[in-house]
Amino acid sequence: MSRMARFTLLFFLIALASGCAKKTLVAMAPDPDGKPGIITVLNEAGSVTIETPYQATKIGDAKDQPDAPVQLGKEAVEKIFKEALSVQPQRPLHYLLYFKGETTLTSDSAKLLPDIIATIRKRNSNDISVVGHTDTLGSKEFNTTLSHDRAKAVKALLVGQGVEENSIRTTSHGKENPLIPTGDNVYEPKNRRVEVVVK
Amino acid sequence: MRTIFVEILIAVLMLTSSLACGSSAEHVGIVKSMAGEVEIARGDLTLNAEPNLKLFEGDIVQTGPNGKAGLILEDDTVISMGNNSKIAIKSFMFQPNEKKLSLIARIFQGTVSFLSGRITQLAPDQVRIETPHATVGTRGTHVLIRVD
Repeated sequence: MSRMARFTLLFFLIALASGCAKKTLVAMAPDPDGKPGIITVLNEAGSVTIETPYQATKIGDAKDQPDAPVQLGKEAVEKIFKEALSVQPQRPLHYLLYFKGETTLTSDSAKLLPDIIATIRKRNSNDISVVGHTDTLGSKEFNTTLSHDRAKAVKALLVGQGVEENSIRTTSHGKENPLIPTGDNVYEPKNRRVEVVVK
Repeated sequence: MRTIFVEILIAVLMLTSSLACGSSAEHVGIVKSMAGEVEIARGDLTLNAEPNLKLFEGDIVQTGPNGKAGLILEDDTVISMGNNSKIAIKSFMFQPNEKKLSLIARIFQGTVSFLSGRITQLAPDQVRIETPHATVGTRGTHVLIRVD
């Protein structure tokens, strides 16, 4: 090894060990749903907030105050995070299905099934959650069983359309988690529902 | 000879106990999309990631020089990672009924995109992304973080 090469190697080892090049960059991208947001970046030396898309702050050391945010621009930010953004999954889709009577879907909700099946196929999803709910009419025990039966009924419909049984997890919340809060013993069609979440 | 036997026995016990832990707890998310080398460190185990692999609290996800990965957590948080990136899911609790809500992730290195989910909506103060230099909090938005 030449003297120059040895010197270069030594330099890099020292740089690596002292960690002088290490730093964190934090940037905001627009929310896909268009909602505004705030990012707070904090360490023992202080904190900054980012409130505008494509603004970014740098932190060189845990003992140094984060830099004042600067506008990097869409292009620069998307370039730095190109690889990560290229593999970003879509947010899970949530469907609400309503019931007439105990475990029969309303006709409007039954019409959603082909959509749900199409999403499962398109996303190649094998992590589907089916959560049963009831309104507050009747006892706790009765509603726990009913919400369980509703989830099972929806699972059976999906399996009947060719969805792998092992891909579906059912849970039941009874009357504990109403969409529309009501008093006890209240008939509320919007609470007689099953939520299907497709990842 | 005898020490080798004891060592093998210990290794087998450790392996089976960590597998048992993994299957008894609820999973906190899945690997949804990926390319190239992606590994999951779980306790003493290292697994090769594959699409739809379940993730558990404490898992460390690492991408190689040509790797990238997209994760979905149970509260709809979406995390994606570029190459040479490493992130730990240090804490994850999503039980809105019992008000048990928490998400702590640590980025050791690389590029990470973090799209906030339900925990951020319901309890923004319980969501923390740590890096070696700072802690990032969010109120419902899309955060991009690079750690060199």
